Order: sequence, then structure tokens, then C-alpha cells
Amino acid sequence: MILTVQVLRNDSNQAATVFFAGQNTVSKGCHRPPVMCNPEELHIMRRHPWLALAGGFGGLLLIMAAAQLGTLFMINGLRNSSHQAEQRFLERSRILEEIRSSIYLSGTVARDSLLAPTGGAPSELAEVNRLHQQTNAALAEYRKSLEPEESAPFASLRSEIEGYWQVLNRTFAWTDSERKQFRYEFFYSELVPRRTAMLQIADRVGQLNERVLLRGDEQVARLFERLRMVLMGMLVLTLIGGLALAVYTSVTILRLQDQVRARLEENIEAKKSLRELSAKLLRAQEEERRALSRELHDEAGQSFSAILLETENLLDTEHGSAAIPHLLSIRNLAQRGMAETRNMALLLRPSMLDDFGLVPALNWQAKETAKRTGLKVQMSAAELPRDLPEEHKTCIYRVVQEALNNVVRHAQASAAHVRLQWQDERINLMVQDDGTGFDAERVRGLGLLGMEERVHHLGGVFTVDSHPGRGTLLTIQLPVAELSAEVRDTKYETNPHPISRRS
Amino acid sequence: MKPIRILLADDHNLLRDGLRLLLERQPDFTVVAEASDGREAVRMVEEHRPDVAVMDIAMPLLNGIEATKQIVDRYPPTAVIMLSMHHDESYIIRALNAGARGYLLKDSLKADLIGAVKSVSQGHSYFSLKIRTLLQEDYFRQMADKQKTDSLELLTARESEILQLAAEGRSNKDIANLLNLSFHTVETHRAHILQKLNLHTVPELILYAVRKGIIH
Repeated sequence: MILTVQVLRNDSNQAATVFFAGQNTVSKGCHRPPVMCNPEELHIMRRHPWLALAGGFGGLLLIMAAAQLGTLFMINGLRNSSHQAEQRFLERSRILEEIRSSIYLSGTVARDSLLAPTGGAPSELAEVNRLHQQTNAALAEYRKSLEPEESAPFASLRSEIEGYWQVLNRTFAWTDSERKQFRYEFFYSELVPRRTAMLQIADRVGQLNERVLLRGDEQVARLFERLRMVLMGMLVLTLIGGLALAVYTSVTILRLQDQVRARLEENIEAKKSLRELSAKLLRAQEEERRALSRELHDEAGQSFSAILLETENLLDTEHGSAAIPHLLSIRNLAQRGMAETRNMALLLRPSMLDDFGLVPALNWQAKETAKRTGLKVQMSAAELPRDLPEEHKTCIYRVVQEALNNVVRHAQASAAHVRLQWQDERINLMVQDDGTGFDAERVRGLGLLGMEERVHHLGGVFTVDSHPGRGTLLTIQLPVAELSAEVRDTKYETNPHPISRRS
Repeated sequence: MKPIRILLADDHNLLRDGLRLLLERQPDFTVVAEASDGREAVRMVEEHRPDVAVMDIAMPLLNGIEATKQIVDRYPPTAVIMLSMHHDESYIIRALNAGARGYLLKDSLKADLIGAVKSVSQGHSYFSLKIRTLLQEDYFRQMADKQKTDSLELLTARESEILQLAAEGRSNKDIANLLNLSFHTVETHRAHILQKLNLHTVPELILYAVRKGIIH
């Protein structure tokens, strides 16, 4: 048995469980009759539905929390990247602007220097050099965050600027005459076109920069799209999880409900069949008692009376014989045997009950109890207006018998009163005594239970009213109006001529 | 003297043989017929018209009480003696109600049967000694329980006399002749007796008399 219990507890193998459940564990594994213990039930009991439910709900909550956190992170990231892109764009725009203005300014300085009557002042040259340095620094900075697509225009911008500075520097080396001779030509054919070209390139780089900004926007939009997808995914996942959980929960609850209902029905059924069984047993017992009683009376009793008569006949003829003492002894024995047989038969089931009905049997019972025990039994039993079904008769008779027995055995009473009345299609029976009484709330002996069972089986009401020191009143009410086919079907086979013997 | 003609009805052959042996030892008794069930008993009475029918109470087909009813109803001259193992009042009262004149217990047949046959053939009642004793004991116990006065003391001497005669099975006419009274007077007395003793039928009156030991 220990082995099988272990198997039940640890085994994940359903087949083994089923096998053992089908064998001998049922009586030990769960304290119910075998029918109620099916393998499926064991399986469920083992898996703990609450564990699955907790897991399901917890998982769902986790998914939701994760979705929220992820969303928060992504939104944060988006904001950051959007901000960075903007910063970068502004920074680069500023650098470009600086380059542009340096070039512009240097052009202006160069023009002023060329147009001045005397040669280029060293201050102007220094200014141009400073601008050159500044431009170089800006270019170097811009280069740090260069996008690949910008590299070609940026390279041409740089070489253009470099060329521009060389050309510009050259002018400062000119003599006055050279300056006078070339300045206008240089100004219009070199400086301005170069400057224009540079500015155009710078504009192109600026456009590229804008495009990079736009591309940053696109990236943000892509990130947003991804966020949307992730959110959608989470939503779908949550929905599916929730749905699965709901389905599982519903199925489990329904199954549990089904099991509860099934068990309830089984219980009701079992109770009913138990009651039927006990009624059947009572009927069988009664039938057997009746048969035994008749048999005793008809066969054993008659034989005794025949022996008795034969003996007496012999006694008549054997005057003075030595056999007389023996014959007398035989007569004595036969008489005693007859009396015992009769008493046994009556105690089993009094023949008056079948021969004449309930009231004569009750009267006999009362008289017999009084004679045997000295208890004063008053029997107030009016003849009943019509025949009672067999089971009702037996029920009332046995209840009175048991009640009087209880009075004699436990109550220490001096008198008992039995009253039987017919009232409004009901039979009222009361058995009252003046004995010591008992606590009817707590004490329920087998005798009382048996009486109650008999009465309930016939749809009657059974009450016991007793308190220590105040005697006992036992009441039963039996409905007789419903003497329908149902009750009549279950009654015993009645003898058409009750006193007749079976031939 | 004309012999008393007897019918024996009992489903037990052995018992019937014993009874026949017992009865036929009497010179003035003759067993004219036997029956082993109630119906046969009625048929035999019809056929043989016996003076006395000795009948077991429990018999197949038709029980002794029903058979007695039919016999008393159809052939009133035949007196019926009931044999039974039961000494309970309900059996006795039903036998008397059916019209039986005697009631004997099967454990004292030898002592009672001869006397009973003679008694009922003369129109009297007869009960086993044991029955009489039991009924009287019952009565005294009931009296003691209820602490009542003896109802017999309610009766006048004349009424007691008439009670005894009535309980012995005599008709009002017989009683009137015996006591030199008018038929009407006897009827009135009898009504008074029943009223005072709270009785209603002749069998009840007979039982009462047995209980009180007025008749045997």
C-alpha cells in the first residue's frame, strides 16, 4: 500500500496512476467509495489548478508590466535621439555659417586691401590669416561628424577653400603697381567666382546637413513605427494570454462545477440507495420473521400438540403401567415445547398483526409487556376506520414495540401510555412514559434511529421529546392519504385468508 | 340415548387421528366426518349435519373463523368448538363473534375436549381452564391498574342471575321460563346489564362472564 501511495504522489505517468487507481489505492488514496474515484480526478488533484491559475495571472501581469516599461524606455530613447539630431543639425549649421562668414569677411578684407591706395597693411594680412585659421578649425570640426554622402562635396569645399586662401594670400605679396594693374581683374575674375563657388558648395553641404536632419526625423519615425509594432505585439500577446487564461479558468471552473455536481448527485444517489437498501432490509427481515413465526406455529406447534394428544391417549389406556411416569414426563415436555414455540412465534411477529390487524396486535403487545415486566401499559387504540397497508401496520407495531422496550430498559417508569389516533388522513401515535427521561438533543440510540428510519421511509414525522427527570414523549405522524399504488406495490403479499395456513 | 355426532376439522392428520381416538373412547360420541380444510369442513357439515364441529382455527383455503361463520349461518344446530394455540383475547373474541360456542387451547385438549363437546351440545359455552384463568387475571390486572370498583357490584342479584344464564348461552325465552319471569322483563334486565357493564354484544357478555369467573 505504501508503494502505491508513493506512486500516486510522485508519478507523472498517467498510465501507472490509472492502473493503480483502478486497483487497490482507491480505498486508501481517497476516502470515498470506489466509484467516485476516477483517474481524471486524481490527475486534476495532482496538478493543483490553483498553481496554473496563479501562473497564468502572474504571467499576464508580467507581460503587461514589461510592455509598459519597454514603452517608457522607447519613448525616452526617441525623445533623446530626436533631440540629438536637432542639436547636431544646429551645430553643423552654425559651423557652416561660420565658414561662410569667414570667407565672406576675408573677401571683404582682401577687397579693402586691394582697393587701398597704399599696399596691403600687415593688419589686414593678419586678419585674413586669422580667418583662414578659423575656417580651418571649423572645417576640422565639421569633419568630425561627417556623413558619408557629404564627403565628396565636403572634399571639394575644402580644396576650393584651400585654393581660395592661396589665391588670396598671393595678392598680399603684390607690389603697388601689380596691384594697380591686376586688382580689378583679380577681383572680378578670381575672387568673386571663387567665393561664389565656395558659397554654393557650402550651401550644398548645408542642404546635405538638412537632409541629415530629415533623415534623423525619418529615423525617429521609424523608431515610432517600431514602438507601435512592439506595442501592438504586446497587446496581441496580452490578449492571447488573457484569452488563454480566461479559457483555462472557465474550463477549470466548469469542470470543477461538473465534478461538484456529479459528486452531489452521487451522494444523493448513494443516500437514496442506502435508504432503499435499509427499507428493503427491513422488509426482508419482517418477511422472514413472519415466515419463521408461521412456520413455528404451524409446523412445530402442531407437532407438539399432536405429540401431546397421543401421549394423553396413551395415558388413558396404560392404567398402572410402568411407562406412566415417562408418559407424564413426555406430556410435560410437549406442553412446554408448545408454549415455548408459541411464545417464540409471537415474539418474532405476533400472528394477530396479520390475522386481525394492528389494534389487536398492539393490545397483545401492551398486555404482554405488562405481564412480563410489571409496567402499567395503557393502550388507547381506536379501531382504525380502514385497513392500513402492510408496511404502515408493521412500522407502527415495531415502533410501539421498540418504544415500550426502551421504556422498560432505560426509563425506570411505572406506567406508559400508548395512544393511536386517526386524524385527517394521518395516523398519530404517541408513546409516553413517566420515567427518568433523557437528553433527547444528544442521545440517539440505535433503537431511536431505527424507529426514525422506519417512519421516514413512509414519509412520516418522528419526534422525541424528553428531558432528564421529566419522562419521554415519543410522537409519530404517518400520512395515510398517499396510500397510492406506490406504497401498495411495496407491501407484502397478503394472505387472502390471514389465519389460514399455507397448504 | 342418541350419540353426539361430531365433525373433526384439522389439517394435521396426526392431530386429527389423536382427536378421533380421544373422542371415540366416549361411548356416546361418534365422529361422523373429518375435514382437512375450511371448505371441506363446511361441505361436511352440510352433508352430515353433525351436532358438534371441532375445528382448528388455522386451516388452509378457508380459516376456522370464516368456516365457523358460514356453518353457524347456514346450519345453526351445529355447535362449533374452536381449537387454537392462541390464548390472546383477539382470537377468542373473533371466534365468539363468528359464532363459536367453545374455545379450547391445544395444550389442554385431553382435559377439556370431552367436557366442551358435552357442554356445547347442550347449548352452553365452554372455555379451556387456562383461558378462563388468563382472562380473569387480565381483568384483575386492569382493575388494579385503573383502581376501579368491581363493575359486578353494580348489578342487582336478579341481574347477576340473568347474566350467568345469558352467558351460558340460554335464550331470553329459556331464562324467562327458568326464572318464572315474563319475556319482556328478561329483555329489560338484559339491556340494563349490558348498559351497566358497558358491553354491546353477546360474545362480549360471555367473555365478561368468563373473566369474572361467573361461568366455566
